[in-house]
Amino acid sequence: MIDLVTDLTPICALGGTVARIETFGGLTITEHSDLGLASLALRKGQSAPQPFGLTLPDVGQAVSKDSYGAFWTGRDQWMIEGQGQGAIDFAAAVRAEAPGVTVTEQTDGFTAFEIASAQGAAPIEALMRKLVNIDPKALGAGQTTRTGLEHMTVFLIRRADDRLVVIGMRTLAGSLWHALAVAARRLED
Amino acid sequence: MLIPHPLLGLRDSQEFTYLGDAALMNRPDPATPDAEAVFCDYVFLRDNPAGVHRELWFHEQGDRSWLVVTRDTTTHEILGAELASDVKGAAK
Repeated sequence: MIDLVTDLTPICALGGTVARIETFGGLTITEHSDLGLASLALRKGQSAPQPFGLTLPDVGQAVSKDSYGAFWTGRDQWMIEGQGQGAIDFAAAVRAEAPGVTVTEQTDGFTAFEIASAQGAAPIEALMRKLVNIDPKALGAGQTTRTGLEHMTVFLIRRADDRLVVIGMRTLAGSLWHALAVAARRLED
Repeated sequence: MLIPHPLLGLRDSQEFTYLGDAALMNRPDPATPDAEAVFCDYVFLRDNPAGVHRELWFHEQGDRSWLVVTRDTTTHEILGAELASDVKGAAK
């Protein structure tokens, strides 16, 4: 028998063994490495389920309850979030909560960066003005949208006035961090 | 250029990709006897109007919806936008 090498070391999307965190003036960007994601889509004629007790939100809205959340991604489509559920089969957990609808694993396809401001909404809005063609005032607390950032597509979720989450493709993690970090650093000047 | 998305409001046209004439939504029935001739027209023939044109745009960097955008090709003025699924649903 051949000995299989099983002492593998899990790494985060940015390649570190621990999630990256960096502060630029009033803004702190954190790599969110343990967020479970699964997309949920209704087939024609199906009514919306309530996975984990979440009422799936209307166009452009995001909701959360306990350690779970849901945000609108398209007509009759949502992304379901599970805090601390990045290392399990999150899609199976969502499927168990919402039988019959289409659920697809997304955890490994995306990476989430949490941006927190220590100085209220202003730094978050200044950062958005540098990076995305979305009116920050139109993306208030509890709202979400998908848009282009440095020519690539990202989800933006405004969890609160002073907190913004950027979810981008996992293979984009390094470039996305770079884009956010450079813009945040320039705001310090 | 801004496109008035029916669900999301005014959005930067850079978030979209362009396909072409909205008549592409009316795919002919492949089971009819004259299907070959009809498909030949469907695939190769396009109107190219100078003026109001209905065309398909895909919100690729957004909610991934297909829109039917009415645009004046001489002024680039966007006259309206509807969800293609609504247009298709209404036609049935």
